[in-house]
Amino acid sequence: MVLRRDDWLDLARKVDWTPRYVDEQEMFPAAVSGHPWLTHDAWIDWNEAYRTTYREYVANQREKDAAVLGVRSALDKPHLFDGLDLGWVQLVKFHNGAVALAEYAGAVAELRMARFGRDSAWRMMSTLGALDEIRHTQIPLLIGHDMLAYDGNFDWTHKAFHTNEWVILAARHLFDDMFLAADAIDSAIQLNFVFETGFTNLQFMAMAAMADRAHHHLFEKTLASIQTDEARHAQIGHPVMRTLLANGSRERAQYLVDKMWWRCWRLFLALTGTAMEYLTPLDARTRSFKEFMNEWVTEQFMKNLAEFDLEKPWFWDLFVEELDYAHHSFQLGLYTYRTTLWFDVAMPDDAEREWLNAKYPDWESTYGPLWDRLARNWKAGGESNTLSYGLPALCNLCQLPAVFIRPGRNTACTLEMDGRRYLFCSEPCRWIFGQESSRFADHESVVDRIVVGKAPGKLTDLHVWMGLEAPVETGKDLRRGLDPWRLNPIPSV
Amino acid sequence: MRIYLFGYGSDDFLARVVVTPDERTVAQLAAQLVAWGLAPERGGTLTVHNELGDVLDSNSTIAAAGLGNGDVFTVERG
Repeated sequence: MVLRRDDWLDLARKVDWTPRYVDEQEMFPAAVSGHPWLTHDAWIDWNEAYRTTYREYVANQREKDAAVLGVRSALDKPHLFDGLDLGWVQLVKFHNGAVALAEYAGAVAELRMARFGRDSAWRMMSTLGALDEIRHTQIPLLIGHDMLAYDGNFDWTHKAFHTNEWVILAARHLFDDMFLAADAIDSAIQLNFVFETGFTNLQFMAMAAMADRAHHHLFEKTLASIQTDEARHAQIGHPVMRTLLANGSRERAQYLVDKMWWRCWRLFLALTGTAMEYLTPLDARTRSFKEFMNEWVTEQFMKNLAEFDLEKPWFWDLFVEELDYAHHSFQLGLYTYRTTLWFDVAMPDDAEREWLNAKYPDWESTYGPLWDRLARNWKAGGESNTLSYGLPALCNLCQLPAVFIRPGRNTACTLEMDGRRYLFCSEPCRWIFGQESSRFADHESVVDRIVVGKAPGKLTDLHVWMGLEAPVETGKDLRRGLDPWRLNPIPSV
Repeated sequence: MRIYLFGYGSDDFLARVVVTPDERTVAQLAAQLVAWGLAPERGGTLTVHNELGDVLDSNSTIAAAGLGNGDVFTVERG
């Protein structure tokens, strides 16, 4: 007689044993398993909310892959670009470059937990999580490869994380901190509890809704399919958090949550905020980035905090203030430094400006004059007149340009340490740096490297250093200028 | 001596790196930053603050005003 699933699953999940040849601390060293180091008794009640067997996992994943590949087959390669808005294509290129290999790095994090997680159920979940992340790498690589025939810059789907391109350096810095250079416990809190429970909803579910309206059904199916995996392995974070809090590590847990919330916010305003509001066609915009953040991220995050009686991060008021402005300031940075990117960047047209002002009542008065100025510069002196040529100051924690929250509202600050002066875009970035200065102090931003001669100061040489072949690969104005007749074919190599 | 500073123009949107000899005046430093911003032709007086918010004497040299490598300064118009 075949046992029913529920009769054997608990036995299969809980296969911890007492080691005889090494002691528990040798088997699970604190340096990799994490702090606090607790005997297995403290972890014995580690339970995931939704249990999955390997058999179920394989069957589900096969179905999900078949759904994505079915859409890919139905569309047929020659029609991959049919009907897609030009801005949307750039959004996909931006997303693929920034996300595909980060997912692969996520597999390393899951595998670390699969070996050094402190309970076998945790290790089982992480094993499936690692398979998830490999899948999340392979699908964008496949689709990016399909797109190569139409736009050579889709090779950045694979190439981006192997370059010194500045957006990618910022992303790598975050992901190294979040999980590649983190022990199993810190990874579970930072990656699973904060990043995947909150922020990936935005990148995958909200973006999938937009993809549907932008008629990019392959991308929609890909994103939604990925998020179902994320939602499953994200639950690793909750029982780890529960164990930390039950064993006197509330302060550490709160710090990891605060830190990672801020760091994720920084990356998402740069990546998702700008993409949603400047590259998505108007008729595909269901909500503003701020509305998505409030509904999909903040609300879920608040529930998580309440569940564990954790405090809101101390910088919450600043975060709320930034929601109205920061990604709009960042977009101006992307636009004026677009030759350092692998995708094209849009200057908002009149209809988009109207939409932005409806969603952000201060938008026109705050940012309108700056975009007007860029338009006038183009008319007066051509495209080169709309580029920034000086170096932007980069934050020594998030590695992103130290933008104003809005013009006239400057939150930059510095820190002097061991004879070096560090710049930060904001007090939370300085605070995080100060908490773990030995972890971050030796890193040099792109600007630091230029200033000391480790990276070239000349823009054309800097392109090469960043892996960008100019002018073929370097980002351009999305519409190729103010006049529609200027529109060139999408560059291809 | 050539130094690098991080300058914020009040009508700009991000901080810019300014590399300058520190024998130049604070007024020249402000003019250099504003020239790189999006509204270089706008008139008005320029007031320079250090990170603490102190107003710097525009006739003073950058070195005498206390600005050194890696310092932040803000330029306000009007």
